Amino acid sequence: MAVDNTLPASGATSRPAAAPASWWSRFWAQNGSGYLFLLPWLIGFFCLTIGPALISLYLSFTDFDLLTQPDWVGAANYERIFTSDPKFVQSMKVTLFFVLFSVPLKLVFALAVAMLLNKGMKGLPIYRAVFYLPSLLGASVAIAVLWRKLFAGDGLVNHLLAYIGITGPSWISNPRYSLWTLIILAIWQFGSPMIIFLAGLRQIPNDMYEAASLDGASRWRQFVKITVPLLTPVIFFNAVIQTIDAFKSFTPAFIISSGTGNPINSTLFYTLYLYQEAFGFFRMGYASALAWVLLAIIAIFTAFSFLTSRYWVHYDD
Amino acid sequence: MRFDANRRQLLVGGAAMLGAGALMGRPAFADETALRLIFWGGQARADRTYGVADLYKAAHPDVTVTGEFLNWPDYWPKVATQTAGGNMPDIVQMDYRYIGEYARRGVLAPLDAYAGNGLDTAAIDKDQVANGTIDGKLYGISLGVATGAMITNAAAIEKAGIDFNPMGVTYDDLKAMAPDFAKANPGMVLTADGSGVELLFENWLRQRGKALYTPEGQVAFDAADVTEWFQIWNGLREAGACLSADEQALETGPQETTGLVRHKAATTFATSNQLVAFQALMPDTLGIAIYPMIAPNTAGGHYRNSSQFFSIANSSAAKDAAVAFVNFFATDPGAGKVLGVERGVPVSAKVRDAIAPDLDEPSRLAVKYVADLGAIAGDVPPAPPAAAGEVEVALKTKSQEVAFGQQSPEDAGPAFLDAVKDILNRAA
Amino acid sequence: MTTDVQRLTVVTGADDAGKRLRRKVLSVLAHIVLVGISIIMLYPLLWMLAASFRPENEIFSSTSLIPSSISLDSYFRGWNGLRVSFGTFFLNSFTISILSVAGNLAACSVTAFAFARLEFKGRGFWFALMLGTLMLPYQVTLIPQYVLFLNLGWVNSFLPLVVPKFLASDAFFIFLMVQFFRGIPKELDEAAMMDGCGPWRIYRKIMLPLSLPVLATAAVFTFIWTWDDFFGPLIYLSDQRTYTVTLGLRTFVDSSAESDWGGLFAMSILSLVPIFVFFLFFQRLLIEGIATTGMKR
Repeated sequence: MAVDNTLPASGATSRPAAAPASWWSRFWAQNGSGYLFLLPWLIGFFCLTIGPALISLYLSFTDFDLLTQPDWVGAANYERIFTSDPKFVQSMKVTLFFVLFSVPLKLVFALAVAMLLNKGMKGLPIYRAVFYLPSLLGASVAIAVLWRKLFAGDGLVNHLLAYIGITGPSWISNPRYSLWTLIILAIWQFGSPMIIFLAGLRQIPNDMYEAASLDGASRWRQFVKITVPLLTPVIFFNAVIQTIDAFKSFTPAFIISSGTGNPINSTLFYTLYLYQEAFGFFRMGYASALAWVLLAIIAIFTAFSFLTSRYWVHYDD
Repeated sequence: MRFDANRRQLLVGGAAMLGAGALMGRPAFADETALRLIFWGGQARADRTYGVADLYKAAHPDVTVTGEFLNWPDYWPKVATQTAGGNMPDIVQMDYRYIGEYARRGVLAPLDAYAGNGLDTAAIDKDQVANGTIDGKLYGISLGVATGAMITNAAAIEKAGIDFNPMGVTYDDLKAMAPDFAKANPGMVLTADGSGVELLFENWLRQRGKALYTPEGQVAFDAADVTEWFQIWNGLREAGACLSADEQALETGPQETTGLVRHKAATTFATSNQLVAFQALMPDTLGIAIYPMIAPNTAGGHYRNSSQFFSIANSSAAKDAAVAFVNFFATDPGAGKVLGVERGVPVSAKVRDAIAPDLDEPSRLAVKYVADLGAIAGDVPPAPPAAAGEVEVALKTKSQEVAFGQQSPEDAGPAFLDAVKDILNRAA
Repeated sequence: MTTDVQRLTVVTGADDAGKRLRRKVLSVLAHIVLVGISIIMLYPLLWMLAASFRPENEIFSSTSLIPSSISLDSYFRGWNGLRVSFGTFFLNSFTISILSVAGNLAACSVTAFAFARLEFKGRGFWFALMLGTLMLPYQVTLIPQYVLFLNLGWVNSFLPLVVPKFLASDAFFIFLMVQFFRGIPKELDEAAMMDGCGPWRIYRKIMLPLSLPVLATAAVFTFIWTWDDFFGPLIYLSDQRTYTVTLGLRTFVDSSAESDWGGLFAMSILSLVPIFVFFLFFQRLLIEGIATTGMKR
């Protein structure tokens, strides 16, 4: 609630003499509406989120096999993660590689296609729907089948490559290339950030572009001087969200490798490893520790993004 | 959280006592027992299972069995979650890999008291009862006999005109027959790469007089065994007799990913009760064969395992009713007719006799296979130790490393043995 | 500048024909590129469509895109194959998804408004916490949440899936809306405040109408993601009659027993229809919502 700054700070001449306001009523006057609007989220946070989150933090210091009582083991889980867990290292490598490549590529595609579609060309709704369709498949079991049809040794991709004389390996089952098939899958489902970019592009008023063309600005200049700056809040959002999602990515690897992370753990995403530990090997305590390590990493990255965002993100307030 | 559930269980227990007290004072109310059942499988299995539940309800109108089923990967997280929350269903389907984990942690009810007293264990094959016994107590009733088996593309094998003896094929045979097979079936190899299949590895060890685990749960093989095992498969791979590394790596678990279904290999290493399911996926006629022998007439590799069990939750409030239902499920000929061999060969002789006349060809083949195996089967090994599931996963990964040439069999042997020891130590 | 404008008109007059031709060529090129990408994007789905019309034992054996014979068998089997018809699954999914949309739109927009527009002590702190909820993998909060809902008696109902939405549990949408709200000029708020509007009216009369694009976006995403979610329904629904479409689809395939791939593909195709329709419906809103954003500075 914005305080009316035009009143004199000591203010009282226009107000009837009253008892000095208590701390609570002052707090309420200044922050009341803020907290009222925040109320649904606060209730949800305290009742549904913080409890389980704190319990999982507690569990990370225990040995919990799901079926019996948790056993306190102190920092043993964390110690193991950082000193003697090769699968942790492997899964971290896989996940970082995935984040590094899938996020930028996905965003570039999403923005490019959104810009293309923003032109308002003929058939626009159809194209937009077509590009969004893959994202609708979500966590379908069918995706594993489809991806194998494309990227197995005798899959479509190799058929096409054969036309230009290349004999491709079995991309999806070769440890050198399997992760790339998952990266391609992530990019294939660029529909969501594309829609968000589109919404952001649509919020840029047309008259700005009109005024700029009248001034003789080329399309490229318009893109650089108008579109990009006004789009930065959306770009920032998409970048942060896609990165967080990529770090937490689970379902594609789960479905395509049938939960194994193979071949040779080349598709062992971090959350997949976590899932194996929790439900496959009855080590929910260790899995909780893994989860909090991941949270710390994501939090550091996100904080860094927010801190540096002030240098390039252009808000209107 | 279990510690929350204890308080809740107290409340529930208290309420139950009050309820029981109320009931006792009102004999006019029929005792309606509701049993919750959870199992993994597809719709085909669910139909049969619910068919049995309906049969049972007809005979016992006061007992209602509500079933829930999921596919294999979804099943275990759900059961674990329910158990962690203190909400385990009364009857839970179990697998030989997990029953030890659940039993040793005290969440399954021991059934010894019911033997001969509600549970007709005398009507069940002895070794099947033994399979469900962990640390001396009975925790699960076997629902089907299953053994290791190679599912074969009988049509392709016949086309090659090779002398493939389903009940006596050896590893050397596989190598020798490979060229003729490849000539007759271009694009296909004779066999899948079994180096990462734990059941097959165990079978091979047993033929040599060894085993996977000692009764105390320690490793019962050495690095040299592992090295030789990988060397055999490297040899087969180089001779073109088995799938290449990346072809084999396509097999991630589900049946349709196997080389057999994709027409890349003529065999796959599975279990006897999967023949029917594989046949449904392929137009070619399939056959069933033993896991290869290391030399002609070497017995002892196979053993009569259990495809799955029904166990009773320790937290169940209706154990007697649950036991009665499980007993009906496993030993009643009428139930057996509904179930067929979908879960495996029935564990009770009278049920087997009752269903024999009505079996279709793949089912008949599977039953015959299990019966004929008696001659070369060995004793059932002791229940696997905790973390046996992890060892299975480790073998798969290691076999892929060797197949892709990332590690030689000579190095892989000691490396794998160390990995297994680590896993067993950590779980202890 | 008049001279510039004059120069401009002179230039355009002469090159008009040439420019038009170039624009047409570019547009054709653009269409070719788009069609090409579309085919690549759609190929997996087209394969699935073809597979849904094939007999069961041909699905994995043949590689061509055109089925040798069209059979609706998979569709009938899939629809009625489970004890509960797929119609029920569709109804359940629809119910949960629509309720989730309502919950998300109401709760997240209100929360985002607080973060984006209202000043209050601790705002940064709560915002950071809100973002933090995005970062914890659900696999580890699963069990404690399950126990919570179990103690509330909500297990085996839709409640654990829907109620959190009304409590703004989806931090993604809060964050999304915050970013969009911050893009709306503050002058509008200030003008309204001059007129004596309180925050609620600013929210209702200014923020919401101007945010139709992001609200439509949130509605579409909520619907689709709720529709596609399987882990929540897996854990909290036990009675098959309450199953959602994605859960039903997963019961078609089980590696340890017989699978019905034809049924799976057929029902997967069918399940795309409602979400696709929902998307088509709302994508118009995405465009039309702009008509009101002719904001003058």
